[in-house]
Amino acid sequence: MNWNKFETLWKRQELPVGANADLVITKQTFEAKSRKLARSLFWRDLREAAAGLIVVGFLIRQGWLMGKAGWPIILSAVLVLGLSVFFVRERIRARRERKGPDAPLLVKLDADISELQRQRRLLQNVGAWYIAPCVLAIVIARANSPAAQSQSPRFVLCYTALVAFICWRVWAMNRRAVRNKINPRIEELEKLRRDLLTSSQA
Amino acid sequence: MSSSSHRESLFQAWLEEHRGIVVKVTRSFAPAPADAADLQQEMLLQLWNSLTSYAGQAKPSTWIYRVCLNTALTWRRGTTRRERRIEPGADLARLPAGTACPAERAGDAELLDQLYAAIHALPMFDRALMLLALDGLAYREIAEITGLTENHVGVSLTRARQRLGELMKGVTDELE
Repeated sequence: MNWNKFETLWKRQELPVGANADLVITKQTFEAKSRKLARSLFWRDLREAAAGLIVVGFLIRQGWLMGKAGWPIILSAVLVLGLSVFFVRERIRARRERKGPDAPLLVKLDADISELQRQRRLLQNVGAWYIAPCVLAIVIARANSPAAQSQSPRFVLCYTALVAFICWRVWAMNRRAVRNKINPRIEELEKLRRDLLTSSQA
Repeated sequence: MSSSSHRESLFQAWLEEHRGIVVKVTRSFAPAPADAADLQQEMLLQLWNSLTSYAGQAKPSTWIYRVCLNTALTWRRGTTRRERRIEPGADLARLPAGTACPAERAGDAELLDQLYAAIHALPMFDRALMLLALDGLAYREIAEITGLTENHVGVSLTRARQRLGELMKGVTDELE
């Protein structure tokens, strides 16, 4: 192999010049993508915030109306509120810790892998931090609701089945996301990292 | 000058000067024209987007290499086929007039195709290292871009050069 010949050939290659057209195209594409992303994030955050506020508002009202006996319902409102705070905190943390594409390759790769591993842990433990507080809030609210006491066993059974089904769906969707999206991506990035370190340690 | 127009003029000036980096990274990581247009668009978007975070600690070329290589390494072909706004052939219209004669240019083009094909056949990181080494970057600069130590860069490059040499066996005879 003659490395110098490769270098000479490489440096002799003709490359395009000029940048005017790219700026216009890049700006247009970037703005269109940014608008689309901002819109979808706005609606996602609005939906989640609205759902959380409605549930918390409803529970606080119920608890308030019940006076001193309403404390368990207030407790379930706190559980739901805690969940919302956890979501917000996670998003802020992820945004703050994210490495931009101008970081060194190995640093960016490590940051991407650890972020994905963190997401995987969250999705795998969705039962503990998401489903359990929600179910607990429902159980507490229902156990202390006078209206719930008078419901027929058939209604209670259907209601329980519906809640169980929703919980199972949430759990299954998260497991599927880990299996189909996060795990393959982690494997891909870890392979890249292995390649880098193997070739530099040989 | 507003920050927006400063960003525009910086982007334009850097692209004018270092456009070759974008083209070479694209060609090494996405040889198919459709993929190349996609990857090139993604790299330009990442450059534009990251420009606000440029702190001036690295040389513009080092910074551009980082953004382009990070984008190329984690780019996922065909996952979201974006609307294509860059014509694949657009770059060719703006090729500079070369100094070599037409016959030499044609020969070079063929050899370059083979060199790019050999680079593309290397593992991802070796590809990145080859680009940087062929562009004549010092170990220190390569270490700054990759995040490896200079010693690791040296070891990796030796291996990557050997691999490239094996892949280019036969072609090198034509270069002699």
